[in-house]
Amino acid sequence: MMKLHFSRKQLCIPYALFLLLFVVIPMLLILFYAFTETVDDKIVFSFANFANFFTSTAKLSTLLMSFTIAIISTAICLLIGYPIAYILARSKFRKKNVLLMLFIMPMWINFVLRITALRELLDLVGLLSSQNYLNTIIGMVYDFLPFMILPLYTTLEKLDNSYLEAASDLGGNKFTVFARVTFPLSMPGVISGITMVFMPSMTNYVVSDTLGNFNITILGKLINEYFTTYDNWHMGSMISIILLVIIFLTMLATGGFKDSNTDARGANLW
Amino acid sequence: MKKRIFSAALAFALLLPFLLSIAGCASSGGGNTVLRVYNWEDYISMPDGEDDEYVDLIAEFEKENPGVTVEYSTFGTNENMYNELKIGGASYDLVCPSDYMIMKMIEEDMVEPFEQEFIENSNYAKYASPYIKDLFEKNGWAQYAVAYMWGTMGYVYNPEIVDKEDLQSWGGIWNEKYKNLTTIKDSVRDSYFLGVAYEYLDELKALQEEYDVTSLDDSDYAAYNEKVTEIMNRTDETTLENVKDDLIDLKQYLYGFEVDSGKQDMIVGRIAINFAWSGDAVFSMDEAEPYTDENGVYHDGIYLNYIVPEECSNIWFDGWVMPKGANVELAQKFIDFLSRPENAVANMNFIGYTSAIAGDEVYEEMLDWYSEGEEGDTDESGAPLVPYDLNYFFEGTGSYDDYVIWVSEESLDRQVAAQYPSEEVIARSAVMQHFDDDTTAAVNEMWEEVKGLPIPVWSYIVIAVIAAGILVIVLTYLYKGRRSEAKPKKGYRVLKKGA
Repeated sequence: MMKLHFSRKQLCIPYALFLLLFVVIPMLLILFYAFTETVDDKIVFSFANFANFFTSTAKLSTLLMSFTIAIISTAICLLIGYPIAYILARSKFRKKNVLLMLFIMPMWINFVLRITALRELLDLVGLLSSQNYLNTIIGMVYDFLPFMILPLYTTLEKLDNSYLEAASDLGGNKFTVFARVTFPLSMPGVISGITMVFMPSMTNYVVSDTLGNFNITILGKLINEYFTTYDNWHMGSMISIILLVIIFLTMLATGGFKDSNTDARGANLW
Repeated sequence: MKKRIFSAALAFALLLPFLLSIAGCASSGGGNTVLRVYNWEDYISMPDGEDDEYVDLIAEFEKENPGVTVEYSTFGTNENMYNELKIGGASYDLVCPSDYMIMKMIEEDMVEPFEQEFIENSNYAKYASPYIKDLFEKNGWAQYAVAYMWGTMGYVYNPEIVDKEDLQSWGGIWNEKYKNLTTIKDSVRDSYFLGVAYEYLDELKALQEEYDVTSLDDSDYAAYNEKVTEIMNRTDETTLENVKDDLIDLKQYLYGFEVDSGKQDMIVGRIAINFAWSGDAVFSMDEAEPYTDENGVYHDGIYLNYIVPEECSNIWFDGWVMPKGANVELAQKFIDFLSRPENAVANMNFIGYTSAIAGDEVYEEMLDWYSEGEEGDTDESGAPLVPYDLNYFFEGTGSYDDYVIWVSEESLDRQVAAQYPSEEVIARSAVMQHFDDDTTAAVNEMWEEVKGLPIPVWSYIVIAVIAAGILVIVLTYLYKGRRSEAKPKKGYRVLKKGA
């Protein structure tokens, strides 16, 4: 029998190839397009797109709108998701995996289908024709809630009970225990959840288009417009880069990159 | 052993179709010509799987021309198609862009001209509507492009909710009365057209009084149409600025914008007015009206209407062009095939739009769909039928002397008017030219502002509150940090970190 033997390095080759083809090269292409311009069929280096973004009222308004929608959606997700994750994680209920499954199950249904169904539902309650912003936020929350619950659940479930017991032994009432021990210890999950919800809700224009009747423009929509109908890949790439920088900065600010945070490791998987 | 033979046979049986297809490819590879067609989705008659109601035109063409294989692919937007050709990765023999893209491609010398023989003697020359051919000749496209489907733009509306009088003018939807009941297209060019029509309503009306044109034969038709075309193609700075304000103003009355959902929203009654292409209008009207199915069960519905407002309209079309390097001979053969009236009928049945091809079969199909009787007949309510004159479109393409159909008065607001606009409507319709690159950029920027502005005030408040919140958190953090670094209490000493 011939023995197959791969070294660790060799095992990395498929992924390295993948990384190169689908991450590194596209990123370089986006960078290239963002800082160039087509003048008389020739591509020239330019900062015009960058300057244009920060001087255009329409684009800055779109940025602001995306921020608003993303912030509100994330806040609502957190407010709904935290109690659920807490109850699920701390309950002694033996079949809690089943409960968790119930929250995740909607994710198994095609996303466009869910949003289309939600559109019909909103029409039924009479919100569809008038409440574009509200509908969009409802859609985002509906869509991204599981992404908030899961990391929260993972961190809260791993929480060592002895900390809480110690806190109560030292005289903390239920609220103090929660505010001083449970919540701070669940921060990695909170941050991970916020990142998981905030980023996509700035760009998921299927939701804003379907439920907001195309009345709301968010950054993802703008990027799409530049690549398809406006036929200007340079500006489209620039907006993508700006979005990338914003995400990077948010991650940096929330400590999403902190390596030492071993507690967060499991949570960051989500 | 038996088992193994069985599984080998099974494996072979499973592989068989695959092997055959490889063999098929290999055998058809030699001496075969390929026609590469690039078209919009759902834009040619093909079987839809369920029943064989629709003709498979591509298969028929291949059958008629042994040794020819059609490679058929589809695109989503004109711009995507244009980019693909421009970048040069893809080569096609035949593509089907919209009006303005055809003009752009002709201008940029990207297309092959048709052969003189084709222009004079093909089925297209024989059966295409004289009106369409005239339009193409007048604009200098005839040598490079042939029309495929065409139509007008107008409003589909629900007469139970909307007053027809209001929509006699494009301005009818700038109206508190129809708040949250209207959709317009989420498309720059179409909505820009709407904005321009609204901006120059008075000028267009004045023109109408000045010229009084109702038919293409009127002596001042050319002069009138030229003026309307000029107005509808204005893109100067003031126009852009005003149109932007008009469209932003319109947003408060709108239900929303739509790409494709307008038809469905109209059918289920979610909205009452839809700014639509005539082809889509026909679809909405067909789907919405009440009908009795084969089991005799009556299904309730609404009769929707279509109207082209009085001031003007936009004549749009999609047509075939041959990109540089195309197999001209084969491409012409395909167009010749599509231009047979019976194939045009097949396409119209499948797509639902109006073909540029006339001829007996098309006219007879039309009679079958829309004719309600003959001169002197009455409709259900006893009112006499009215004539609907389509000579301008069909004249000289078939064996009939007079192309007039008799319909009830109310049908004039329905499918027939959307499918084949009256000569009066045609007389006031203009083609929207393509914009040069700078103008396109300016119009796009205008549209971006229409779509993105204004954002509600509460949005600023939310951002302000969040910013303040973050500031507070950061400040407390900093303050706490300083306090914890304060000197330890007496009797304690600070251990070095890690000690």
